[in-house]
This record gives sequence, C-alpha cells and structure tokens, in this order.
Amino acid sequence: MTKRLKTLQFLIYLFIFFGFLNLAFLGKPIDPMAGVFFAVITVIVAVTSWVLKKYYPMGDRLIFLLAMLLCSIGMIMLFRLSRTTAVKQLLWLVIGIVMFLFVVLYLKKGLVKYAGYRYVFLAGTIAFMAMATFIGVEILGAKNWVKIGPYGFQPSEFGKIFLILYLSAALSDIKSRKQLIEPGIVIIISLGFMVLQKDLGTALIIFAVSVTMVYLATSKKLYVLISLGLFGAGGAASYAVFGHIRKRFMIWLNPWDYVYNESYQLVQSMYAIAMGGLFGRGLGMGHPGYVAVNESDFIFSVICEEMGLLMGLAILILHFLLFYRSIRSALHAENNFTKLLTAGLSVMMATQALVIVGGVTGFIPLTGITLPFVSYGGTSLLISFLSLSIIQKVSEGDE
Amino acid sequence: MDNLTTNIKRVMIIFLIVFIVLISYLSYFTLFRGPEIATRPDNRRMWDIRNKVVRGTIYDKNGKELSVSEKTKNNQYKRTYKGGAATAHVLGYYDPQYGISGLENLYDSYLSSNISASFMAWVGNGFKEVDKKGDDVYTSLDLGLQQTAYNALGSSRGSVVVIKVDTGEILAMVSKPSYDPNKLGEIWKQLSTDEQRPLLNRAVSGLYPPGSTFKVVTGVSALENIDGIEKETFNDEGKLVLGPDYTLSNDQGKAMGKINFEQAMVKSSNVFFGNLGIRLEKNLFKTAEKFGFNRNIPADGIIIDNSRFPKYDISEKGNLAQAGIGQAEVLATPVQMALVAQTIANDGVMLKPVLVDKVVDYSGNTVKEFRPDEIGQITSPGYAAEIKRFMRDVVAKGTGTRAQVSGIQVCGKTGTAQHLESKNPHSWFIGFAPYKNPEIAVAVIVEEGGYGGTAAAKISSQVMSKYFKK
Repeated sequence: MTKRLKTLQFLIYLFIFFGFLNLAFLGKPIDPMAGVFFAVITVIVAVTSWVLKKYYPMGDRLIFLLAMLLCSIGMIMLFRLSRTTAVKQLLWLVIGIVMFLFVVLYLKKGLVKYAGYRYVFLAGTIAFMAMATFIGVEILGAKNWVKIGPYGFQPSEFGKIFLILYLSAALSDIKSRKQLIEPGIVIIISLGFMVLQKDLGTALIIFAVSVTMVYLATSKKLYVLISLGLFGAGGAASYAVFGHIRKRFMIWLNPWDYVYNESYQLVQSMYAIAMGGLFGRGLGMGHPGYVAVNESDFIFSVICEEMGLLMGLAILILHFLLFYRSIRSALHAENNFTKLLTAGLSVMMATQALVIVGGVTGFIPLTGITLPFVSYGGTSLLISFLSLSIIQKVSEGDE
Repeated sequence: MDNLTTNIKRVMIIFLIVFIVLISYLSYFTLFRGPEIATRPDNRRMWDIRNKVVRGTIYDKNGKELSVSEKTKNNQYKRTYKGGAATAHVLGYYDPQYGISGLENLYDSYLSSNISASFMAWVGNGFKEVDKKGDDVYTSLDLGLQQTAYNALGSSRGSVVVIKVDTGEILAMVSKPSYDPNKLGEIWKQLSTDEQRPLLNRAVSGLYPPGSTFKVVTGVSALENIDGIEKETFNDEGKLVLGPDYTLSNDQGKAMGKINFEQAMVKSSNVFFGNLGIRLEKNLFKTAEKFGFNRNIPADGIIIDNSRFPKYDISEKGNLAQAGIGQAEVLATPVQMALVAQTIANDGVMLKPVLVDKVVDYSGNTVKEFRPDEIGQITSPGYAAEIKRFMRDVVAKGTGTRAQVSGIQVCGKTGTAQHLESKNPHSWFIGFAPYKNPEIAVAVIVEEGGYGGTAAAKISSQVMSKYFKK
C-alpha cells in the first residue's frame, strides 16, 4: 500500500510539473510564476503526506492525495484563466491545509464528545441558513452572499456543516419516531431559507444529505419515499409559485430555443464541452471567455474544453473514489455520531460534484454551486478541507 | 442502528450507480452529440477558429475562382462570391452572422483547415507567425455551363442539373429563384421570409412529381419484369377506366390507337404506362428504390433529400396507375432524375454524384482527390440500351424535338407533371447526349412551366449546345 501511495504521489508531482510547465510556456515571455505554483503545491503534498504518515500511519492517506489531485486540476485551470484568481486560490489552499493539519494533529481524540453540542449546532444551522435572507446580496440570481467590508462569503456553506453536525447529534441515539420531529423541522426550515434565497443547488444538497442521514440512522426506506414525495410536491409548488424556477426548467428542457437569451450560459457551457471532444483543444487553446463564471460554477466545462472528456471523466472518477474512501472510513468509526458525521460529509461533497457536473452538461436543471476542491472560492475550499480533516481523523480510528 | 454498516454500503452502491450514469451521459454527450453541437452556426468558437486562417478558395473545373477570401483592414476576412447568384445555392454562403451552408459548409474542415502552417513554414519565416491558409477546393463545376443554365431558366423558378455520364461529376447545378450571396446583409430579411423560398437549393431539396420523365423507370421495370413486353401491342383509346368515377387520360384525351411499347414511350402514352403501373405493382416499387427513391443517395459535396415512391396495394389501382406515370404521391428531386438519365446513358451503372475534383493545401499538396465511384448496376446494359433507343426517338421524332442540338444526337424524355389543379403543370426534361458514347446527362424542371416538350426541352437544348460548342 505504502509503495502504491508513493507511486501515486510521484504521479501527482509529474502531473503538476507538466501542467505548470505547459502554463509557463503559454505566457510570453516564459512565466516564472508557474514554477512558484509547482513548488508550493509540491511542498504541500510532500509535507502533508509526510506528516500523515509519521503521526497517523493507520489513517487513510489516499483520501488526502485524491483531494490534492482534484485541487491540482483546478489550480492549473485557474492559473490559465487568471493569474490573480489563481494566487488567491493558492493562498486559500495554504490556509485550508493549515486548518486541515491543525484539526488532524491537535484536535483531541474522540469526536463523539461534540455530540453534546447538539443545540449549539442547531442554533448555528438556523443562523447561517437564515443569514443571507436578511443581510445577503444577490449575485448571479441567488441571494446567498454576505459581504463584510471588502470580503464576502456564503453563509449556507457553513450552514451545511452545522446541519450535518446537528443531524449527526440528533439522529445518533434515535429510538422513537417522535425524535424525528425536531430534526425534520430543522431540515424543512433550512430548505425553506434556501428557496427564499433562490439557492436551489444548496437546497438540493441539503435534501440529499438529510435524506441519506435519516435513512442511515433509521434504516427505514419508507422515510426516503416520504421525503422524495414531499420534495416532489415542494418542487411542484415552487414551480407553480416562482417564475425563476419555471425558467430553470424551461432552459433545461429546451436549451437550444433560447441560445442568445435565457439559456446563454448553459449553451456556452455545452459548446465548451462539445468543442473539447475526447482529448480537449489543449491548455490555452480554448475559448473559456465565452463561458460565464468560468472559474467556479462552470469550471468543469472549461476544463473539458481544454483538457477534454478524459479530464472530465477523471474528475468524476476522482470524486467517486474520494466519496468511496471517505464513506468507507465511516465504517471504522465506533460510535453513531462519528459514523453519521463522516457519512454526511462524504455525501455532501459527492452530491455537490454530481449536481454541478449534471447541471453544466444539461443532464439536470442547472443550479449554481461549486465543484468541491476544483472550483475557485475561499469558503468552498475551506469547508471542503474542514470536512476532509474530519474524515481523515475518523479514518485513523478516532477512539 | 445496528444496520448502519449495511446501510452505508447501500448508500455507497446508490452513489456508484449515479456516478456511472453521469459518466455515461457525459461520454455520450461529448462523443455523440458533441460534433453536431460544436458545428451549430451560433457557436462563436468555430468562427473564432475559422477567423484565424485565410479561408481556402473554391475554384471551378477550369481553375476560375468562385469563392475567395481576402483580408480586410481590421484583420477580418471578407468572402467574395465571384460566381454570384448563379452559383449561390451549390456553393453556399459563409457569414458569421447568417451561418454557413452548401459546399462552404460541407467542406468547411478543409477550407478552414489550419494545420497547413507547419512548423517548417514557421522556421522558414524567421520564427515569425505565418498567415495560416486553408485548403483550396477545386469543384467539378464548369462556370460557363453553370451561367448558361442559370440564364436559360430566365425568370422562371426551377432547377437544372448537369452530370458527367462516365464520372458522376456535377458540371452544373442551378436553382432559381436565386440571390446574390455578396449582399446577404442587405437582403437576408427578405430572403428568409420570401414565400418562393430563394434560399432553398431546389436541385437537391426540391421535391416535385416527376410526371412522364418517370416513364423511364417504369420502362426499365417493365423490361425486367414482363416477358415479351417489347412485342406486345396495346389499344390506346385515350383513357384508362379504373373505376366508376376514375379514369386516367392521355394529354387532351388523345387516342393513340394500336401502339407498342416503343411508340408508347415516344408519344408518352399515359394509358399504356398507367396500365403498366398496375401490372408491375410491387415490382415498380422495387425498381424505383433501386434507382434511389426512398433512399439516401451517396454524394460528395452535396446532400440529396430522399425522393419518394410510396408502396401502393394492388387494390389501389388508381394510385398504381398514377405512380406508373410519375404522379400520385411520387416525388423526385432534380438531381435524382438527372441520375436516372445518367444511369441509362452509362449502361445501367449509376455513379455517385460528386461536386469536388480535388482539395489542395497551401503548399500545393493534393489532400484529397476524386475518383469515380459506382453506386451500383441498376439495370442490365441490354435494357439500358433499349430505353436509350426509345429516348433517342423521343427527341428525334416524339415529344422532345425541341431538345435537339444541331450536329448532336440527343436522347431524352419529357414530363408534364400535374401538381395543383389550379396551377400550370411543371415542365420536365431529362436526357443525355450524344446517343453514342454519351458525355453528359441533364435534368431540367421549370416550375409551372407547362409542357415538358416546350420550356424544359428548350433549356436542355441551350445547355447541351453550350457544352458541345467547345
């Protein structure tokens, strides 16, 4: 195992080396900044792997490498799109890694003791889910950003983590049906706020995570069916009430009828993927400028345009492997709180990848969310590494 | 709660399935729908890529420029169509605003190919960027013949197709009404709303009842399927009574008396061929399909819409008889009928119609070269020779005398195709020349042009004269 990990690690170095070498030669004259990126990412991978191996030889070290591979793909694309964005993302990556190591190394063993903070988590969930409804600003049609001075963040990103923490605590010792009422209400309130903020992507993720966690805790398929029924009814009601939801569906069903207007973003994304074909047009040879929000929501499309279907499939496979290894570590956890927490976080990241990739390819209605580890975005990256650190900790055997 | 481990495994499997579904969709989307999506005219990326190269030139058979790109001041390219309205449909247009059509579209990957500026060219240019140039396309069109055909149609709507008998090369392909592709910007609105549909290439997409020109196909079918048909005599009383309220008549109800197969063809007896339609029944359907009806006809540089020949039941005598004379719901494109003439002229062998002789890259290397390609032996050389003889008589002394060309033995068949009762019939002529060793095959249709022996035959005569004058 160690030997294979070493090989994988070496391949990651090779990948970022050639990626940034290519980027260096795209600039005129040759861009030394690409070398800096290569060095920083290599050091991050090397040091973190070394720390994990040294202090936690029992942990699953593949999880971190999978995440770093996704990060590298995103970083190469961001560097190609905009130097300043890439530098900011690199800073966020460093902060994310520091936080990751801090949680893994210094947080006391036994995550289960946090199960007692159930009502703190509940308050956190409601506060963060609600925040943008009242003091948020609207960006790209969704009112899900909060600005503090020059900095902005997406409170629902934190809301999701609090919700998973809360649900893990509330569902870990479930014995009767009555105990489901409180978590049920919290889930519905969270979904309600997302609908009010027009953040349908996050709503979808909250739904998927909640249903999965309730099923894991209760083993009742009936609850899943009821939830799906309610979700369908809620969806139909929103379709009838909200014009913007009707529009989303219209665009999804007939993207080619509104090429220059409503479905412009989706169509440009589809063109990008179609132009890429199997091998892509080559780094720097595509037209990412035509794709809106090409550094976060639509990064998958511009990656497909320049690096091809093969890289697109690689991202999906990496995300699946990450999900598999993450949720597998839940099996090692000794108590229900930790198991549910790990499973919830894994499902959150996987669903997010599925929803955004499905959206930009026109497979499901498009909703604006980030692709974990790949998209640009400080909040998104920090949350992803925070989740990863908890999963990493559980994989070591937390007790 | 004890089931948590089992449940986690179940969730894992569900996610695995969802991932596999998405991976399959993404692959399907990129590989199968991708090419069609990428070439949509509203995809600006394609135009950006095309705009990086000087688009290749389209030439006629004799090296005359037909469509040329030149760099304008602001580093854009302007396409000039030297053939003007005469070649508008067959060559198509190329415009970032209105899209891309015709040969410009089908050969776009050559015309806008940018791999020609090679590494060596770059070195040769002192490591400075070389203007990239697309490949040049040499068509089989003869601009002079094309213009003659275009002018011969005059102000009528219709189409003329001229095909080289022994190679399948398209020498001329005209569709009217036409437009000036150099002025797309000014006339687009009018073009796209005009009820006469000037943007439609009638030669490959116009579906008309072929009328009596179809008797060539019926004739072949009769020779193949009815023993001794050449020796039969038939009493043509001017009309064929098929039911209490349905009769099929000759033109103006003229009774031709006792006639044989050859005379029926030369005089274009509807009664005789209507009767054949009923006798041949399903065999005529088979022969029509062999000639390309209901089929995708392979072609290079053009896309031919399917001509139609419906399958009628033996109980539908009226339709069977009508189909025998190219009416009922039988529909054909002008290029389909030109291929019928070409097949008869070429001893029963149909050739793939081609518009492009060769493609040459910027450094003079031939990238692609045309070779004649057989679609198949449609009928035996013997039967073809027999029909050929009949068609010679049609022009020599039958309905098609106006198609004659002095000094050349022309063969052909006229057609006067009914479509709407209130309108004049369409005027058709298909033919080839010379009788011995035919060189060119022609199809002419003049919409609402009246008798085939008049309008269409005259145009054919002008076009053939021009060809043989050289």
